[in-house]
Amino acid sequence: MIEAHQLTKRYGDKTAVDDISFTIAPGSVTGFLGPNGAGKSTTMRMIMGLDRPTSGTVTVNGKPYARHRAPLAEVGALLDAKAVHTGRSARSHLRTMAATHNIPVARVDEVIEMTGLATVAHKRVGGFSLGMGQRLGIASAMLGDPRTLILDEPVNGLDPEGVQWVRRLVRSLADEGRTVFLSSHLMSEMAQTADQLLVIGRGRIIAAGPVQQVIDSVSAAAVRVRSPRATELAALLEADGAAVTSSAPGALELRGIDAERVGELACAHGIALHELSPRSASLEEAYMSLTQGAVEYRSDVTATAPTVPKGENR
Amino acid sequence: MSTITATADAVLPTAARPTVHARPSFLGILRGEWRKLLSLRSTWWVLGATVVLITGISLAVAASVDAMAADPVTAPTLATTNGAELVSGGFQIGMLTIAVLGALLITGEYSTGMIRSTFAAVPTRVPVVIAKAIALSVLTGVVAAVSIALSYLVTMPQLAAHQLVPALDDARTWQVFGGTVYFLVAAALFSLGVGTLLRSSAGAITVSLTVLLLLPGVLAFVSLNWVETIARYLPLPASGAFLGGSEDSLSSGGDQLTAATGLLVIAAYALVPLFAGAVVLRRRDA
Repeated sequence: MIEAHQLTKRYGDKTAVDDISFTIAPGSVTGFLGPNGAGKSTTMRMIMGLDRPTSGTVTVNGKPYARHRAPLAEVGALLDAKAVHTGRSARSHLRTMAATHNIPVARVDEVIEMTGLATVAHKRVGGFSLGMGQRLGIASAMLGDPRTLILDEPVNGLDPEGVQWVRRLVRSLADEGRTVFLSSHLMSEMAQTADQLLVIGRGRIIAAGPVQQVIDSVSAAAVRVRSPRATELAALLEADGAAVTSSAPGALELRGIDAERVGELACAHGIALHELSPRSASLEEAYMSLTQGAVEYRSDVTATAPTVPKGENR
Repeated sequence: MSTITATADAVLPTAARPTVHARPSFLGILRGEWRKLLSLRSTWWVLGATVVLITGISLAVAASVDAMAADPVTAPTLATTNGAELVSGGFQIGMLTIAVLGALLITGEYSTGMIRSTFAAVPTRVPVVIAKAIALSVLTGVVAAVSIALSYLVTMPQLAAHQLVPALDDARTWQVFGGTVYFLVAAALFSLGVGTLLRSSAGAITVSLTVLLLLPGVLAFVSLNWVETIARYLPLPASGAFLGGSEDSLSSGGDQLTAATGLLVIAAYALVPLFAGAVVLRRRDA
């Protein structure tokens, strides 16, 4: 359980996290979604007591992180795959972490096995690929068998097999009743991994709730239809309450109506259909419309200013 | 307030109780820091270099004793010199490598990002600095003692010819040897403190070596009274108060501090930056 209350972090005059409140419940995987620079990592560092909030509070399992008697057993975090001294071997790194909590060496070897690092455990971390670094980060997060896991961009740099592994891992951890909070800037990744979504943009929460609900709230499902008598059909559908747009002659995009109703109406009036396809809103579309104006670094060839002026999306 | 609650069909929290035995203790933190120190190759390089440099310089000093005795200018100085000072004559170069080790112990964690893992494991932070200081002191103390013991052995043949082998039953010998170890440990802690304050390897090493090595030499050319007073309280000149301070030492020129004051000044160099570092560490973002 992670609870943030009016959490704010400012660096000088730049507000990284702007008065956000949320609760992350145990037993499910919560995705923290937002464009780069939206405040995801800052929020996670504040949860871990690494960055001090400018104002507001955040607790994990009922207490600020630093007040826990055995912090590694409460929260395991992958904040940064690079939070490891490059001159040390993976196993040495894990053993130094384990020593602080008197965690037995057997557990160190267990997490090494679990993350598939056995063959490189004695190699220096400096030579690790991004994916191996991520695995080591996840291994150290799992070290204390924590009730809450915080993973910042865990699949970043992993190969498809590694991505699958992370998905299965977080699923099984959540099914055990643990709290799993992971961030990503990829909507498609979140849709496949998370149950719940917390969408952040420019330091503010834009949307929150079950994944499908967040997507649906942004764009309703659409139906595409093609017919030689499109104009006639459009009038019928509009009379039935559908929103009709046309992108090409003979083709209609419909909203506010489902495919079954379209088929029945067409049949009743003897109108032939050449295509009738329900189309659920694309995840990326949903994401783009969610975070529109909340993107910190955008590429815009027409604008002279590289970023959108502050306040435009407030 | 955006509240996210588990969906109805989600598995109810079963209050997953960790099966891994995790019980933090200061001893554990200390073991972790000790392991950190010894599991880096750079530590062994620096320590090896320290032993070789201290012993090598002592050997060179001993080798020049013949020439000094033959030269009518230096012969009287040599006659009043304590053999122990010749044996530990290489400590200034050891101070350099040990200062680098002390600074890197913490700045290396900042430059690699390791500090975030460290503070995630020990969010109260200050025990980490205390554990680092203890581990560093023990390791530096051992290396300094080994270096002096080796220096004693390798210089013995040369010094014996001039009856300069320090007597092991002489309190003065142990004051010099003990004082050298004390000073090297303090130099390590000083750079650890500076490193904790500055967080950057380059900055910490520059500041440490400037204060330890450069300033005494530079200020020696300034003959203003107040500058001379300041210079007396710099680490290396202050160490002369209990290490002997022969003619050629950098502490010559002004009146010496007493041995007790010298020890206190050196203790202040070791502890003040460390204490200040620990205070700011508590409040700073990692």
